[in-house]
Amino acid sequence: MNKPGIDWHARAIQVAFLAGVIALWYLVGATGKINTVFLPELPRVIEKFGQIVQTSRLYENLRVTLTELVAAFAIASTLGLTVGYFVGRSRYAALVFEPLLAGLFAIPLIVFLPLFILFFGIGMESKIAFGASYAFFPIALNTIGGISQVDPRFVTVARSMGANDAQLFRRVLLPAALPVIVTGLRMGCIIAFLSILGSEMIAGLRGLGSRVAALAEGMNTAEMFAYIVFVILLAALLNTMLTKMQRRFSEAGQAP
Amino acid sequence: MTDATLKAATDAGTPSWREMLAKSPGKARLLVVIATFIVWEIAGHTVLDPHFLSPPSAIVGALPRILSDLGVQKALWASFYELIIAFAIAIVAGVAIGLAVGLHRFTFRSSLPLILLLYSIPQVTILPLFVLYFGIGAGSKIAFGVSHGIFPIMLNVIAGVQSVDDAHLTAARAMGATRMQIIRRVVLPHMTPSLFAGLRLAMSGTLLGVLLAELYVSQGGIGYYSRVFADSFDPPATFALVTCLAVMAILLNESVRRAERRASFWRTHQR
Amino acid sequence: MGAIDINNVSHFYARPDGGTVETLNNVSLEVRKGELLCLIGPSGCGKTTLLNIIGGLVQQVTGEVRVNGKPINGRPSPRDIAFVFQDNTLFPWNTVLDNIKVALEFQGVPQSERQGRAEEAIEAVGLKDFGKNYPHQLSGGMKQRASLARALALRTDVLLMDEPFAALDEQTRMYLGEELSILLATTNKTIVLVTHSLSEAVFLSDRVVVMTARPATIKATIEVPEKHPRDPAFMASPRFAEHRNELYAQLRAEIEKTVGGFVGNAAARDRQRRAVAGQAAP
Repeated sequence: MNKPGIDWHARAIQVAFLAGVIALWYLVGATGKINTVFLPELPRVIEKFGQIVQTSRLYENLRVTLTELVAAFAIASTLGLTVGYFVGRSRYAALVFEPLLAGLFAIPLIVFLPLFILFFGIGMESKIAFGASYAFFPIALNTIGGISQVDPRFVTVARSMGANDAQLFRRVLLPAALPVIVTGLRMGCIIAFLSILGSEMIAGLRGLGSRVAALAEGMNTAEMFAYIVFVILLAALLNTMLTKMQRRFSEAGQAP
Repeated sequence: MTDATLKAATDAGTPSWREMLAKSPGKARLLVVIATFIVWEIAGHTVLDPHFLSPPSAIVGALPRILSDLGVQKALWASFYELIIAFAIAIVAGVAIGLAVGLHRFTFRSSLPLILLLYSIPQVTILPLFVLYFGIGAGSKIAFGVSHGIFPIMLNVIAGVQSVDDAHLTAARAMGATRMQIIRRVVLPHMTPSLFAGLRLAMSGTLLGVLLAELYVSQGGIGYYSRVFADSFDPPATFALVTCLAVMAILLNESVRRAERRASFWRTHQR
Repeated sequence: MGAIDINNVSHFYARPDGGTVETLNNVSLEVRKGELLCLIGPSGCGKTTLLNIIGGLVQQVTGEVRVNGKPINGRPSPRDIAFVFQDNTLFPWNTVLDNIKVALEFQGVPQSERQGRAEEAIEAVGLKDFGKNYPHQLSGGMKQRASLARALALRTDVLLMDEPFAALDEQTRMYLGEELSILLATTNKTIVLVTHSLSEAVFLSDRVVVMTARPATIKATIEVPEKHPRDPAFMASPRFAEHRNELYAQLRAEIEKTVGGFVGNAAARDRQRRAVAGQAAP
């Protein structure tokens, strides 16, 4: 299941494509044919990027967004793992509740954002609550799936050797379900991040998403592009970190 | 049968309601949903502040009120049309691109990395760009919806086409089939199950894209109304609007799922 | 009183559509201390259920089971009984040594002793160099040996084995059978082994118990008075053939009931066979 290293061919194509896009962007800007409100010249965007990275405003917004992310993920994972454990342990509970959760998750939960704004206002609390609610689902669903699909024979063997509930959980259920659970946590983190950005854009004053939305409204396209690039890089960084952590959990054993 | 076992068997008796529930998780699920609404209703009138968490009765009461507003009607219909159109475009374009990429080894190896690269961009970050380029009307919402829905379709079509057994292709060629015939008779039927599997994801994606765009653009459409209702401290109206959207989403998801099941039904027999 | 006493045990379970299926009907058996007893019978007859009842994984409906004098009532007794199952149930996320150490932890062995006992166990089954390997890195035979090591490390008086060699190829089966025989001679464990293989039953057992088709009772008991450790040459001896034939004769009628044969009963099948042979002969 581990891919044998990076696919250099694919990577090369992706890099070439990006280089091409950047080159094209520069050329288009140089001809001056396109209104710079729609597509600011590449050098201007680069300059703006250099500027914003040095201002405290970016880091203020970054701090807000990251705080919301950490809080949302903490809440979502605590609730999701707990609910997932108790539902997953009981075959019957899993049959009853899993389709409910899965069905609810299939609706784009973004439609409920107005309700969160109603309850919590447009401050950080609504973003945290919304992000936590959205991220709860993949975490809970994956935990239910992981625990309920542990081969029952492992449970039988453990019981025959005298394992109590706590030992069963630590030595059998958790390690057996861990890969699936970690995947759920990873998905939850990404979903929390994206939903927080989205809710900041739609109704927010602080945070990276709000900043982008404000810049868009003010037609300040060059700086908006710079911020968008920053956020994309941030997302890529987050994704890489999560993938690394996931890999580490899939390989580690649990030495008693 | 021995006496002991016979006795134990007859002691079982008629099924209690507990046993009936145990046999049907579906019924239990329904009970859970109903119980939730009941608790919500009671809590709404006693414990919770009715200005924050409207009880279901208030929401149902608000529904005719908001639905009679022509502006709201227009906004809901507009969202619905955008969803359908975006979904249709996503399918057509997705299948076309998927086939073009998947059918030739060259295009596959060169284009798939690009598709994956685009797919990895968190689209919410470029939402303002869509609005910048496509305006605040239906165009940007449809475009954003297509942008979300097209990827599952493309990727599933590509996977379906690529996974055709070489043995089948060889057999067809040995029987004298032309390239067109091979595509029609071997590749396309093989790809169809994957396509249908991708439709559900595509509908989820389209829903997300269109509704996200709608909420972002607050100058009109449901984004406008959700803001209006929230700002005027009219929780039942907000709830009612959200309920309409949720119902729309559920119905669309269900239709896609039914279509998928109907298509797969005869599919499993054909293989 | 034997190591295992089974008295009038019956068992049935309820079918989802309302009926009941009787698996065991009034089974009584005494397993002597230090003997290896095989349970053999047609497929699905309830041998595994009986084994699970002895081990406390399944509760009997009527009757009494005692292991070392202690009553067993649907609850495992990890200090007295260890299991070896057919599909190896080693935890894939632990190494071989860790698997054994976890088992010892479940049983309640203090941490200081675990490493030593685990190493001792893998050496006893010939896996000394493979302690740090994960199950997926081992062959089928090695996995079963590791499962056996895990059971041995628990130092129980009783070992219950449910078709432990069924998933292995013939040669590995024979080899592991010989090893088990040697093990029996060196320890004083009481072993109950469920198997489908007649040869395995005769080679390994001190006694073979033949069970009827469902609902199962004990049909016959065959003694194999051959000393452990048993020589592979025993398998080629006339005594072996005698026991095996006796076993097959007892079993055949029960297999008929379960499998049915495509003509319905033994007599009809014999007639059909003669008819076909008659046509084929020139």
